[in-house]
Amino acid sequence: MAERIFKGGEFLVTEVTCDEIFTPEEFTDEQKQIAETTEQFVENEIVPHLDEIEAQNFDLVIEAFKKCGDLGLLMMDTPEAYGGMELDKVTSMLVAEKIAPAGGFSVAYAAHTGIGTLPLVYYGTEAQKEQYLPKLVSGEWAAAYCLTEPGSGSDALGARATAILSEDGKQYILNGTKQFITNGSFAKLFIVFAKIDKELFTAFLIEKDFAGLVIGPEEKKMGIKGSSTTQVILDNCKVPVENLLGEAGKGHKIAFNVLNVGRFKLGACVTGAAKQATLVGVKYANERKQFNQPISSFGAIQEKIADLTADTFAAESLVYRLAGLLDTKLATIDREIDNYYVEYQKGIEEYATECAISKVFCSEVLARVVDEVVQIHGGYGYVSEYPAERFYRDERINRIYEGTNEINRLLIPGMILKKSLKGELPLQAEAMKAFESLMTPSFEELDDSIHFAAEKALLKNLKTLFLILAGTAVQKYMTKLADEQEILMAAADIAIQIFALESAVLRADKACRSANEKKKALLEAVVKVFAFSATEIAGTAAKKGAFYVEEGDQLLMVLSGVRRFAKYDATGLLQAKRLLASTVCEEEKYLF
Amino acid sequence: MKILVCIKQVPDMESKFKIADNATWYDSGELAWRMNEYDEYAVEQGVQLKTQVADADLTVLCIGPQRVQETMKKALAMGCDRGVHIEDAESFKKDPFEIASMIAEFAKEKSFDMIFTGMQSQDRGSAQVGLMVAELLDIPSISTVVDFAFDAGKVTAKRELEGGIKAKVSCTAPALITCQLGLNTPRYPTLPNIMKAKRKELLSLPAADLLKVERKQETAKIYFPEKKGGGLVLEGAAGDLADQLIKILKENTGVLA
Repeated sequence: MAERIFKGGEFLVTEVTCDEIFTPEEFTDEQKQIAETTEQFVENEIVPHLDEIEAQNFDLVIEAFKKCGDLGLLMMDTPEAYGGMELDKVTSMLVAEKIAPAGGFSVAYAAHTGIGTLPLVYYGTEAQKEQYLPKLVSGEWAAAYCLTEPGSGSDALGARATAILSEDGKQYILNGTKQFITNGSFAKLFIVFAKIDKELFTAFLIEKDFAGLVIGPEEKKMGIKGSSTTQVILDNCKVPVENLLGEAGKGHKIAFNVLNVGRFKLGACVTGAAKQATLVGVKYANERKQFNQPISSFGAIQEKIADLTADTFAAESLVYRLAGLLDTKLATIDREIDNYYVEYQKGIEEYATECAISKVFCSEVLARVVDEVVQIHGGYGYVSEYPAERFYRDERINRIYEGTNEINRLLIPGMILKKSLKGELPLQAEAMKAFESLMTPSFEELDDSIHFAAEKALLKNLKTLFLILAGTAVQKYMTKLADEQEILMAAADIAIQIFALESAVLRADKACRSANEKKKALLEAVVKVFAFSATEIAGTAAKKGAFYVEEGDQLLMVLSGVRRFAKYDATGLLQAKRLLASTVCEEEKYLF
Repeated sequence: MKILVCIKQVPDMESKFKIADNATWYDSGELAWRMNEYDEYAVEQGVQLKTQVADADLTVLCIGPQRVQETMKKALAMGCDRGVHIEDAESFKKDPFEIASMIAEFAKEKSFDMIFTGMQSQDRGSAQVGLMVAELLDIPSISTVVDFAFDAGKVTAKRELEGGIKAKVSCTAPALITCQLGLNTPRYPTLPNIMKAKRKELLSLPAADLLKVERKQETAKIYFPEKKGGGLVLEGAAGDLADQLIKILKENTGVLA
C-alpha cells in the first residue's frame, strides 16, 4: 500500500508514481474471497428472483436483507462492538461493485449500508448504536435516509421540515414531508433531517412505529423499480429527545459527510454495473448474426466494445485508487482516541473532490455503456424481454441522486479553490509556473525507456492546462468565480479526466511489471484508447473554458496552450481498439 | 475425531481453454482459479460432520503451486480448522497414483477417522485419487456419494449408480467418501469467517518429502474433440423438402447407392 499521504486534490499539482497508488491487482485473498461470496449471493439468491423484485415484491427484498446479514454483507463499516467488522474501504467498494448486478436490490442495499447506516456509526451515542446498529447489521431492520423534500433537493439545507420540543421537554414534534426516500415502504429506521424551531438543521432517528410517521405510496419510476421509493410524511411525529442524532444544528455535517462516502460507493457500484452490461452486450454481439457473420466481427461494433472496455478500466482504476487513498489516510488515525469518528470524518472529507469525481466519472461511464449496449442489441435492445432495456432505465438515476452530477461538478473546482485559499494546496504558485511554461517553448523529448512515457507527459501537460485555465479564471473573477458555473463545469471536466487518466496509466504501469506479453499488450491498448478520449474531452473543455474566460490576445495565448498541452500521439489507435475488442469478444469476460 | 478433506484447485470452467505447447495439458497462463466443484461438497460434508460430532478437528489438504492457498483459504473460511499445502509447482504433471500416494503418505500416521474427497476433478476427471488413497491407507471407501450419515463410528451412505438407481452402503470408520454433486448445499463463506480464516494454521510441505512412488500413467496427448460439420436446415414445402434431401443424399453420401 502506498505510504505517501496525499492531500485531497493534490493530484492536480503534483506528480504521482505507480507505487503510490492502490490497484485492483493488489486485492488480498480475503478481499477476493469476500468478492466471491458477494457474487455468489447475487447470482444464487437475487438474480433468480429479479423479475419478482422488479415487480415490487418487497418481501423478497426484506428476506434478501436478512440473508445479507447472515453472510456479513451488512457489517463492513460498523465497528466490532456493535456486531460489525469495520473492514477497509477497498473491501467495501469491492462488495458494492459485486452487488451491482442485483438490479433494484443493489439500490436498496447501497442506501441501507451507506446513507442509512453510516450516520449512526459516525454520530450515534453509545446508547443509540447499541439500540439500532445490531438490527441494521443483521438485516433485521432496513434503514432509510430522509433528506430531500418536495421543494428542496440539491438545496438540501433549504428543508422545511420542522421540529419543536414538547412542553415537557421529553420529545420533539416533527412536521414536514420527505421526498424520494429509498427503502421507504419497508424500512424500520428513518434518519430524518428537520429544523428545530425552523432554524437548527438537525438529524433524528425515527422508528417506523413512532406515532405520526406516515409512509406515502410507491413512486412510479423510470427505472430501479426493484427498489422502494416513497414519500415519508411527518404528521406531528413524536420523537424522544434521546433520538436526536449528533448535535442540534449540526445536521448539515451528517448530511454532507455521509454523502461523500455515498458518492464514492456509487462509483464502485456503477462500475460493477458497467462490467455486467458490457458483457451482456458482448455476448449478444457474438450470438447475433447479420450478413452471415456475428455482428461482433464488424468494426462498427468492435469500436464500441473497445471504447466501453477502456472507459470501464479507467472507472475501475479510479475507484480503487480512491479506496486506497482513503484507507491509507484512515489507517493513520488511532482507533483508541475518543474523537475517532471526528478525525475519521475529516479523513474522508479530505478527499471530497475525489469522491465527487468518482461519482460523476463512473456514472457517466455507465451511461455510455448502457446506451451502446442497447445500440448493439438493435431493436432487441428496445424491448423489455432483453436486459439491455432495464440497464438503460436503471442507469439514469445514477446521474441524479447522491448529489446531481452538476452539483458534484461544481464541488470539484470549488473544493480545490477552497483548499488553495486555506493554503493547503499551492494552486497559485503552480498556476504561475504553468503560465510561464506557456511563454517558453518546449523541446522536451520523450524518454522511451520509461513505460507509458507519452501518457505520463500528457498527464503533466493536462495538469498544466488545468492550472492555466483555473489561474485565468481566478484572476478574472476572483471571489465571484463561484457564480460562473459554466466555467467551473469546464474546469471540473478537465480535473475529472486527469484523475481518471492518471489512475488508468499508473495502474497499467504497475500491472505491466508482472504481466505476460499478451496482458502487457492489452494494458498498453486500453491506456491508448482511454488516453485518446480523455485528451479530447479535456481539450474540448479547456477550449470552451478559454472562450468563456478570455478575449483578445490573452484568449489566443490560452488557446495555443490548449493546442500544445491537450495533444496526444495516438498512433496505433485503431489496432489498439481492434485488439481490445477481439480479445473481449473471444474471452467474453472483463479483461482486467 | 480427526477429519481430512482433500481439495483441488481447478480453472474456472467457463474459461476459454487452450492446449499447452507440449500438448499434454492445458495452458494455465490466463486462467482464473477456483475450488473443484465436487470438493466444495466434500468440504461442506466435513464441516457438517465436525458440527455434528463434538470435539472434531478438520484438516484441509491441497496439492499444487503457491496459488492454491487462495482456494485453501476458502475451505478454511467454510469451517476447516487447519490447512496442509503440499507445495508442488508441477502437480499437473503427476498421475492419479502419484497424487494419491502423496496424500496417503501424509495421512498414514495421522489416524484420520474420516476422509472426504470430491468424486472427481473438473479438469482431469480421473475419479481415481480418492479411492486410491483409501486403498493405500487400507480403509474402506464409498464413491459417488449423494447422501451421508454418521452415527457412532458407523457410516451410512447412498451411492449414485447408472440409470438413476441408488445403492445404500455402510461401513465403519475410518473410511473415505468421494462426494457427488448434490450431496449437500455448500455454504458461502461469511465475511467474519473469511477474516477469521486468515489466522488459521496453513502448513506448507514440499512435495518431494511425500513423493515416494513412480507414475503408472503417461499422458500421450490431449486435444479438443474434432469439430463436426454444421447442420443444414432445408426450407420449403414437404414434397420439395424430400426432393432436396434425396438430392443431397445422392450427391454427398453413399446411403442411396
